[in-house]
Amino acid sequence: MTIETLIAVIPVLPLAGFLFAVLVGPRLDRMPSHGHAEHEAGHADDHGSHSGHGGDGAHGDAGAEGELRPVPSEEEQRATSPHAGHADDLANSNGADGVIPDDMNDGRGQPGHVVEGAPRPRYRSWIVPTGLVAVAWLFSMIVFGNVIFGGHTYHVSVYEWIGSGTFRIQVAFLVDGLTAMLLLVVSTVGLLVHVYSIGYMDGDRGFWRFFAYLNLFMFSMLLLVMGDNFLLLYVGWEAVGLCSYALIGFWYKKPSAAGAAKKAFVVNRVGDFGFGLGIMMIWTLLGTLNFSDVFARITTLSPTAITVISLLLFAGAVGKSAQFPLHVWLPDAMEGPTPVSALIHAATMVNAGVYMVARANPIFSASPTTMWVVASIGVFTAIFAAAIALTQNDIKKVLAYSTVSQLAYMFFALGIGAWVAAIFHLVSHGFFKGLLFMGSGSVIHGANGEQDMRYMGGLRERMPWTYRTMVIGSLALAGIPLFAGFFSKDEILGEAFSRGYYLFWAVGITVAFMTAFYTFRMVFLTFHGSWRGPAEAWHHVHESVPTMVAPLIVLAVPTALAGLVLGIPPEAGAIHRWLAPVFRGAEEAGAGILPGSLAGAGHTFDLLGLGGLLLLIGAGVAVAGIWLAYRWYVLDPEAPARFVAGFPLGLGPGIYAASVNKYYVDDLYNLVWARGGVLLGNALWWFDAKVIDGAVNGAGWLAERVGGALRRSQTGRVENYGLGIAAGLVVVLVAYLVIQR
Amino acid sequence: MIGAGLLVVTLRNIIHSAIAMMVCFGSLAGMYALLGAPIVAAAQVLIYLGAISVLILFAIMLTQAGDANLPAPFHPQVWVAALAAVAIVGLTGWAAIATDWKAAATTVAIVVSALAKSLFTDYALPFEILSLLLLVAIIGAIYLARRPEEDERAN
Amino acid sequence: MGLQSYLIVSAMLFGIGAFGFMARRNAILMLISIELMLNSVNLSLVAFNAYLPSPVNAGAVFALLVMAVAAAEATVGLALVIAIIRTRQTAEVDEYADLKE
Repeated sequence: MTIETLIAVIPVLPLAGFLFAVLVGPRLDRMPSHGHAEHEAGHADDHGSHSGHGGDGAHGDAGAEGELRPVPSEEEQRATSPHAGHADDLANSNGADGVIPDDMNDGRGQPGHVVEGAPRPRYRSWIVPTGLVAVAWLFSMIVFGNVIFGGHTYHVSVYEWIGSGTFRIQVAFLVDGLTAMLLLVVSTVGLLVHVYSIGYMDGDRGFWRFFAYLNLFMFSMLLLVMGDNFLLLYVGWEAVGLCSYALIGFWYKKPSAAGAAKKAFVVNRVGDFGFGLGIMMIWTLLGTLNFSDVFARITTLSPTAITVISLLLFAGAVGKSAQFPLHVWLPDAMEGPTPVSALIHAATMVNAGVYMVARANPIFSASPTTMWVVASIGVFTAIFAAAIALTQNDIKKVLAYSTVSQLAYMFFALGIGAWVAAIFHLVSHGFFKGLLFMGSGSVIHGANGEQDMRYMGGLRERMPWTYRTMVIGSLALAGIPLFAGFFSKDEILGEAFSRGYYLFWAVGITVAFMTAFYTFRMVFLTFHGSWRGPAEAWHHVHESVPTMVAPLIVLAVPTALAGLVLGIPPEAGAIHRWLAPVFRGAEEAGAGILPGSLAGAGHTFDLLGLGGLLLLIGAGVAVAGIWLAYRWYVLDPEAPARFVAGFPLGLGPGIYAASVNKYYVDDLYNLVWARGGVLLGNALWWFDAKVIDGAVNGAGWLAERVGGALRRSQTGRVENYGLGIAAGLVVVLVAYLVIQR
Repeated sequence: MIGAGLLVVTLRNIIHSAIAMMVCFGSLAGMYALLGAPIVAAAQVLIYLGAISVLILFAIMLTQAGDANLPAPFHPQVWVAALAAVAIVGLTGWAAIATDWKAAATTVAIVVSALAKSLFTDYALPFEILSLLLLVAIIGAIYLARRPEEDERAN
Repeated sequence: MGLQSYLIVSAMLFGIGAFGFMARRNAILMLISIELMLNSVNLSLVAFNAYLPSPVNAGAVFALLVMAVAAAEATVGLALVIAIIRTRQTAEVDEYADLKE
């Protein structure tokens, strides 16, 4: 079993898991085979299993088999789910009007509808998909070790997919240091999310569907990071978009979820359009889509062409990684189940944009303009998203905007030429954000479906493990020394300063402060103080099941330690050695070092000089943010309100409102694109109905008129015809005589 | 002859027009003779004056068409028709004048025997077909001009 | 007279015949006009034969043939006119407009 075989097999395993889940999964999630109980427990069963027809797998066997009945109906789910109310497609019924009967709709999930003693369905379709993903994780670790510590790079060609004249595309995998780092993140977080989902999605009648989509997503993501040509990358890119659509809209009966899924897909598509154009340009100008060939030949193109290509590719990254202005889909994507948010929108899919830019570093570094655009958009998005996260009340929305902001940091790093720092941040962010999201899911389950932090509080007594792991993750996110986030974030900021991007550095420091602040605002509001929710709900607050807590603990380890392992010494740590071959030649090129900066070529980091000072500033800013959050949300809860009221020039409430409303970007898009689209449609309809149909109808009208006029020449009288003959004769004579002349 | 022709088309009474037509035919016969083709002149007199004119007069009488003095003998389109006719004459005449015919200075008379010979040798086929045509015309005319009752009685 | 004079005369006669055909209402008069036109053609044929002689006297022969055909045509035409007049009781061609749109 060679490494090459392992590499080729890794993506196939989740694909097999997907097929298994789709074909066999529904059969595994069945009601138990009690003869009596099935009739008495669900008296509306027949009604239920007919109404639930759409989601059932084995429809035909319902009556005939008698032993096992199909996937549970909505009634049965509501009666038996331990997470009734927030783990079914009727969850958090804002926008589910008409789906839940009014007398059962209390607006916040239905904890009171569990029927004691109702026979519980067995949810067993998780076994094979999770097992396959675990095997894939194992293989990925073997490959990782081989590539990183052995220093090898692998090209594994599986088969020729397209062979059409000169257009030849192989299904082939390239595994170098960059791919290996991504494999680490993707497979680890992916496996942990699978385990987490066993507990989180328990009780949901779409259990098998969830695992199917998760596996399909893993397959697509692995294809994306392992492919060795742009087309395979694009295939994986689109496929993860599709899976994202499926998973965000997992609870498809919720109109808000369905809308969010559409929004994600459409906004992604805008970026993908640019990405596709970029790939087509590469093909047209270079005749190949292979990474190695393209990168070798890219410098033969004109600078304009390179800039255009790289900007188009970056457009795709903007869409996929939710940067301004295509960031709007990520917060709405929180409609999906929390494991989805953890996997896709924190740890893997949104990293695809960063990966793609890093992979295409020869192209980007050849175009200083694009590099500057990347860095600028990164910096702007960072502060923009952080400014929104400050005021959000939904725990998942805070994390969503935090993700956008941290991704922006990564693009910022890429744009200034600090490639390795960006990847380092990608890895550490994948771990701690995945941890934070899964932790938030645990909080939501524990608080009985509540997601609004204003109604939480004091949870650390009842949910100790969740509390501890979330604190570790938050410390990492805030950038406290010795945790992973500190090393990666400060490396980015240090590179920015020493390469001469002083303004960007200042913005980055501000964002670090804001990040620490809103992160710990979240922690303090959720876990400290006293419970602010409904009194009767406090009795149900509980720690989550082990399958949900275990991944949290597992992730806390790299969150705490990855920085130490990868990032010491700063700017020359282990990760730099591992990734050096990938970015060879790009470190100093492009917009990397501004002229007149403090560094020159070959600057070094000195702990006791400038570098150390920057580290200190970063750490100080983070601590300041935490302290401010502590003052405002633990010691003195009235302080935020006073601050807003006392803001100079009376702008406080206005700024606060703008921040809560996401700076009205969504409203703007609604106005311009949605309403504008409708207007355009109406205008085009008018054009079609009046102008085009008018022309067609007009042709008919004209034919009628002309026919009417010509009809009058048919008099039926022979003398008129004789005159016509004579006239024709005259014409012929004239023509003949003229021609003879 | 031209005058006779004009009379033909402008007189109100058809019978007067028919007489004028006969005068026209007669003068044409004279012209044929002047052109050195007495055989054609003879044929003109025989056929046109002797047969066709009579035929037309018979037709006029049989249909009582000549009794009425038509109040409006001309169509509304008479002026346009005149214009067209003048145009035809003008163009054809101009074509005739403008062409160099390389004609002989004086007429050459026809030798009847030569004409007869060519009629029965070079143009024998048209001659025979012509006889067939006349037969067909006779039969057709008889059939067409029947009285309707005779038709039924014939069946 | 020269050849061209005869041709001009023939053209004038043709024009008169055409005018008569187009301008008069009576059906029989229209047939008479047709005869005039045919005669004009005969004249020009014989004129050509006189001034540009041919070994087979083509012009004169053709003129004779035309005469015979004219006779046949006049016969049939008049038979038709008689039949129509008998049916419609009128000789005015204005009334024969059943094929009108």
